[in-house]
Amino acid sequence: MTRAVLELRAVAKSFAATAALKDMSLAIEPGEIHAIVGENGAGKSTLIKIMTGVHRPDAGEILVEGRAVTLRSTQDAQAEGIAAIYQEPMVFPDLNVAENIFISNRAGGAWLDWRAMFAEADRIVAQLGVSLDVRRAASGLTLAEQQTVEIARALSLKVKVLIMDEPTASLSAHEVERLLSIARALKAQGVAVIYISHRLDEIFRIADRVTVIRDGQHISTRPIAEVTEEGMVREMVGRAIDSFAVKTAANAVGEVALSVRGLGRAGVFRGVGFDLAKGEVLCLAGLVGARRTDVGLALFGIAPATEGSLHLHGSDVTITTPRQAMDLGIAYVSEDRRKLGLAMTLPIFSNISLASLRRFLRTLGLIDRKAEGIMAESYRKALDIRAPDCRIEVGKLSGGNQQKVMLAKWLETKPQVLIFDEPTRGIDVGAKAEVHAIIRRLAAEGVAVIVISSDLPEVLALADRVLVMREGRQVGLLDISEASQERVIALAAGTGAGVAA
Amino acid sequence: MMKMKGLALAAGLMAGLMGTTALAEAVTAAPGQEVNAVLLPKFLGILPFDQANRGAQEAAAELGSTGKLEFIGPTPENSAAGQIEMLTTATTQKQHVVMLSNNAGDQIAATAEAAQAAGTKVVTWDSPIPNGAGESFFVAQVDFGSIGTVMADMAYDLAGGAGEFAVLSASPDAANQNAWIEAMKGALAGEKYKDLKLVDVVYGNDQSEESYNRALGLVDKYPDLKVIMAPTTVGIVAAAKAMQDEGLCEKVKVSGLGLPAEMVSYSLNGCAPQFALWSFVDLGYLTYHASYALVTGAIKGEVGEEFTAGRMGSFKIEEDPGRPGAKRVLMGPFTIYTKDNVEAAAN
Amino acid sequence: MNGLIGRVSPQTLRLVALFLALLATVLFFSTQIEGYLSARMFNRISTSAAVVLPIAVGQAIVIMTRNIDLSVGSILGVVAYMTGQALGAMPEMHPVFAVLLAMGIGAVAGAINGVLVAWGRVPSIIVTLGTLALYRSFLVEYSNATTITTASLPQWLVELPQASLFSIGALDVRVTVVLALVACLVVGVALSRLRAARKFLAVGSNPDAAKMAGIDAPRVVFVAFVLAGALAGLSGFIFLAKFGNITVVAGLGFELKSIAAVVVGGVSIMGGSGTILGVLMGTVLVDTIDNSLTRWDMVSEFWRDALLGMLIMAAVTLDTLAARQLARLRRKEGGAE
Repeated sequence: MTRAVLELRAVAKSFAATAALKDMSLAIEPGEIHAIVGENGAGKSTLIKIMTGVHRPDAGEILVEGRAVTLRSTQDAQAEGIAAIYQEPMVFPDLNVAENIFISNRAGGAWLDWRAMFAEADRIVAQLGVSLDVRRAASGLTLAEQQTVEIARALSLKVKVLIMDEPTASLSAHEVERLLSIARALKAQGVAVIYISHRLDEIFRIADRVTVIRDGQHISTRPIAEVTEEGMVREMVGRAIDSFAVKTAANAVGEVALSVRGLGRAGVFRGVGFDLAKGEVLCLAGLVGARRTDVGLALFGIAPATEGSLHLHGSDVTITTPRQAMDLGIAYVSEDRRKLGLAMTLPIFSNISLASLRRFLRTLGLIDRKAEGIMAESYRKALDIRAPDCRIEVGKLSGGNQQKVMLAKWLETKPQVLIFDEPTRGIDVGAKAEVHAIIRRLAAEGVAVIVISSDLPEVLALADRVLVMREGRQVGLLDISEASQERVIALAAGTGAGVAA
Repeated sequence: MMKMKGLALAAGLMAGLMGTTALAEAVTAAPGQEVNAVLLPKFLGILPFDQANRGAQEAAAELGSTGKLEFIGPTPENSAAGQIEMLTTATTQKQHVVMLSNNAGDQIAATAEAAQAAGTKVVTWDSPIPNGAGESFFVAQVDFGSIGTVMADMAYDLAGGAGEFAVLSASPDAANQNAWIEAMKGALAGEKYKDLKLVDVVYGNDQSEESYNRALGLVDKYPDLKVIMAPTTVGIVAAAKAMQDEGLCEKVKVSGLGLPAEMVSYSLNGCAPQFALWSFVDLGYLTYHASYALVTGAIKGEVGEEFTAGRMGSFKIEEDPGRPGAKRVLMGPFTIYTKDNVEAAAN
Repeated sequence: MNGLIGRVSPQTLRLVALFLALLATVLFFSTQIEGYLSARMFNRISTSAAVVLPIAVGQAIVIMTRNIDLSVGSILGVVAYMTGQALGAMPEMHPVFAVLLAMGIGAVAGAINGVLVAWGRVPSIIVTLGTLALYRSFLVEYSNATTITTASLPQWLVELPQASLFSIGALDVRVTVVLALVACLVVGVALSRLRAARKFLAVGSNPDAAKMAGIDAPRVVFVAFVLAGALAGLSGFIFLAKFGNITVVAGLGFELKSIAAVVVGGVSIMGGSGTILGVLMGTVLVDTIDNSLTRWDMVSEFWRDALLGMLIMAAVTLDTLAARQLARLRRKEGGAE
């Protein structure tokens, strides 16, 4: 048996009264892809933070190549050859791409040789099979590009163990393929990859071994061949769960709520047209960069359309501001909870009432705190937001619960058209199933729903119809009965055949 | 103690000293009583206020007060707010009297009135409370009217009787400086000054670099400028340094109110041949005497009362001509410094 | 093929916009004030800006790390006083040593701020608001109400403000101006070329990411405050040389002056971005407006401060609008590729 490159022995960590990790033991071998799965809150984040020196364990020890080590900081971890890529990409928006890649590098002189740095950055980026201008500032990079920068940064450090925390959460199918091949390449070079993902299909495709953790405890570590999806999910949640049933036929739908013709925004997207009926779920599929989010932003008035027409409930409308969109009964649940959706430092109830505050104003413009609290409480129960009460800061909730708060906020505006942008990005299987159930319920209540998603199984589980986009143009509008994973990918990628492995 | 050997100006300023002729009426407070007093300057850390403290301590020792005399004040960046806070604190400590050089304008009036109501007297010196509310009386360094005449005279001398001059003051809302400038404008109406022209009044906010830049601005704006008159100790030094740095001392003379210790080199090199100031030691000394008499009941603080103030003779409380309804005790005189007496005063 | 605008970075666009704002200011006042475009005016503005420049550069470094230093004015006062006192006691001290002494005293004061912010984890605005008062109180105690006067200073120091290093035609380039510019240049080059110095921007750009990337953020923040202190010290030295007369009020209000120059110079108050060239232009712009207003007949003394504030805002707005317009042009050119 090969000696473990990284080993945890009986590690425990508590925050205040909460035990995040209990008696966690784990051995990572060189050149393996080791998946770690568990629900949000299972202790994965704490585990990563202990392995990268952000937190120090209360008990137990960490061994690198058999040596007991103390990791006091991320520098210490990097010095031991351990680096991580996070769910929320960590880039420096004001620095250029090359600098972002080499920021952790202590090799090289004190003097910056920009030319050499750009050349080396170009080489590493090329190694990832990506085209990216390393001279441009990192601000304005898409999430996928930011992640590429982060992976390149880890590569530049010549790591022994690379931890990937939800690396594909924001990637489209074709980028996921590229990431998986990068992971395999790293493995071939003898780098151990710790792969953390909610997307079980990816785990089955690349992992050598799988460790399941739940409630801060190690449940099992098994070679992938001995694992089944049902078994793994059962271990993760501690109960059986329905996997996503692919929809085979569209729901019966009502009258047309929203009718879009030739919608476009100069230089961004054009030629988008569809009719959306009450109770219908329309999914926008495509690769990252296909400009699906921009369609959502245009409908919501954040980045207004410059061409095309909109009919809402039979009358012509133009939408140039979010306020107008909200007044017309359109709501937009965004992908980036931090940037567009939630005020992380405010409590749950303030976030929920934020978009519909006018309804809670009483004499002199004072907020009716009591009504606000009752309303928030009803959502907490209805959507099963897991928090002791509604005064908890949203920033302290898990991703899935934040998503539910955001959803509550928009539901409170009583929308007739609800746009979801990546509604389940980075949230765990349990929460994902709940969000799907909520979307289906809303549709059943007659809300017209648009879902923008990069997660194909999700698209196929939710949609009545699938609108496929490529490079800012609508390339297909499929009924669910004629949509398949292969067909959607083929349309999205613009190739004749499906690209799925 | 600082010795002032300057020639004293008599005209009109002697009003206070004239009390000597009527010595019989002046009350003298009985020494050895308990007077707890606070001397509260605009802020701590500059020479004039330290000198005032020396004078006050001298008077306290002389009178043999069994109480304490504290010298406390805010730091420069916190002057106005700090003064109000310290006055409040002194009131709650049941101090008998607070001697205040006010830097908080009328803002402090309410606090001063509260202090008076609680039994803590407030006597102002150097800079009064503009509306007079809450203050027992003001110990004025000089008659604000006569200082105008002196400034007009210095400008007249330095400009050779005719030409343009400008004023570099502290800030547009400094009550004493504004009063002096107004008084000077009044004096300039006189026949003697008909060829003297006041072209501008600018403000350096008692900051070295602002005053320095304003002074240079004046020279640029008025090519024929002969004198810069700065009735502020910060402004006058900064202006003198600016003229020296730019080699303009032959052309433009600096004058105003300055501390001999700070001005000595400019007086000697001719950048600022003449300037004036009163003794802050004497001001502190007189303020303490007046406050002691007030606290011990020797005087009530009414107009017309007279009291003796040790080595300085006797003084009378009178209406303040510049502030209707307010009362003052006028010290005077002040001293004109030239290259002949500045060195002795500086040491 | 990209056009000219397409090839320059947004940062450079800001500088161009700032330069346009400066140019507009100068052109406007040259029509208003007689003899405005003169060597004399150049001297006035350059020597006046020289006092603020080092302190503004130090402030910029701190702001780039997403912090702020409100104590620089008090540091300037302490340094000017202590250096003046040392020179009075040891007039034979070498000028270079005097400058180093001033910067050293400033660095010590900055280090105290730095320790409290970086490792004490107290927000910089609170720490430096405290030390603003603390250093000033120290100066009040330390000075014991005595003034540093020109007479007590060595002759070379008193004459330093008049000394020109060289002249271009009628334009005298004074030693103090060169001193400030050298500090500006050194920091500017370091920030663009020194590996360690880039970390100031990284930490301010995304503190969480900096931690994850293995940057010792507290150390970087500490160094930023030490540098700000040292540069405030350099300003203190120039202040001492220029005004000669140092009391406890020296440097009051410089924290706001420095922040104004830095913000006008395009350094993001949120940290992470900015250039030293921008700070230089911001300092010069604010100083030019200030010095021009005092020579402009159209505006009374009472309105000058209000107008200065308005013009600074106008300059910043113009600069922002111009930068946005240029960025739009750039996108268009880029899109036509």
